[in-house]
Amino acid sequence: MIERKETACRDCGVIVSLPLHPASSQYRCPRCNALLYRRGQPFGYIIVMALTSLVLFVPLTFLPILDLNIMGLHASSSLFEALWMVYRDGYGFIAFVSMMTGLLIPVLMILLLLMILVPLKMGYRPTRVALWFRLYEKMREWGMAEVYLVAIVVAIIKLLGMGTLHIGPGFFVFIFFFLTYYITTVWFNPEDIWFDDALDH
Amino acid sequence: MRWITDIERGRQLCLHCRKLHTLDVHVCDRCGSPVHQRIPHSIPLTWSLALAAIVFLIPANLLPMMVVQSIAGEDAGTIMDGVIYFLEHGEAGIGIVIFLASIFIPFFKLTVLFYLLLIVHFKWYARAKLGLKLFRIIHFIGKWSMLDIFVVALMVGIVQFKHLATIVTGPAAIAFMMAVLITMFATETFDPRLMFDTLIKLQEEKHSHPQGSSHD
Ligand SMILES: [Zn+2]
Repeated sequence: MIERKETACRDCGVIVSLPLHPASSQYRCPRCNALLYRRGQPFGYIIVMALTSLVLFVPLTFLPILDLNIMGLHASSSLFEALWMVYRDGYGFIAFVSMMTGLLIPVLMILLLLMILVPLKMGYRPTRVALWFRLYEKMREWGMAEVYLVAIVVAIIKLLGMGTLHIGPGFFVFIFFFLTYYITTVWFNPEDIWFDDALDH
Repeated sequence: MRWITDIERGRQLCLHCRKLHTLDVHVCDRCGSPVHQRIPHSIPLTWSLALAAIVFLIPANLLPMMVVQSIAGEDAGTIMDGVIYFLEHGEAGIGIVIFLASIFIPFFKLTVLFYLLLIVHFKWYARAKLGLKLFRIIHFIGKWSMLDIFVVALMVGIVQFKHLATIVTGPAAIAFMMAVLITMFATETFDPRLMFDTLIKLQEEKHSHPQGSSHD
């Protein structure tokens, strides 16, 4: 007899019972096909990927993403400098929201994951894990690094017609930052936090 | 097959850690989140936010998104001007991407939101599954509407050549961003389970009034 636990589908409300120790890599709602459970990777892998992503973010703050030349005049800008200009134009709210959703929320998510997973990996339950994890879940809806990446590509194509354009190293760092951030969030399975065996170690 | 839902069983789900609770619980003992059987005030909140988003979309489409100041003069363009510019200059791909992100997605998201609200209002249980599919789509594509805002922010940040050419943020950008953010909040406050709950109500009505008589 397999031990089962009852839960409900968050999309349609149907009661389902899942095995306490899942045998399959994912379970879906029998009525509406919502994802109920997806197996995550070991915390060690996630921590390494999260740290890589964090390290990649550092050069992003100062490396230029684009370098534009119009009739001998020259301008280059990092991601944060570009947003500073929007702020100086009097659109501080746009600069703030763009910076939060495009850049800071992804980094904060990585930091929160490390704050939760590193102590768990080392074998004790971090204090306030519930609060940090709630913040992480709230941010997940609002992280838009992938949209920002596509926006840079669109901006490059728009600027090609204006003058001589060089793509700066910041752009390539941003691509790698996004990839490691994305893999980190996909590898992490929120349920692993709540499983009693993860917390009791 | 007959589905048993949390309402019939007298249970409520913690939306954060997915622990199933009895109805007397208000705060989840596992993760500390507030627990409700359904998102509180989901329908009136979604209605108000969706209507507010429409109000912001009007100036967003009529006012200039960004202004190019150059020796040739000032050139202010709305969202649609930007799309047309790319279509005319042989960059149809980019034109279509901007059209989808800035015009089609906001319009589609709001249309779907109103359709979902109508499904709940008129108890169209048969359309609940279609509604849920649409809900998942708008949840997934919602953030892509921010694309044009990010593009404008980048252009403004880079094209700063004093009198030669300078790009300035236009007033539509702020209205458009408000519309996108409000629509995202509207999607978050909508509880898709309400579309399925109408089945329980329909069955209860059938049960208590076998002749089809009703009084409210
Ligand atoms: Zn379901």
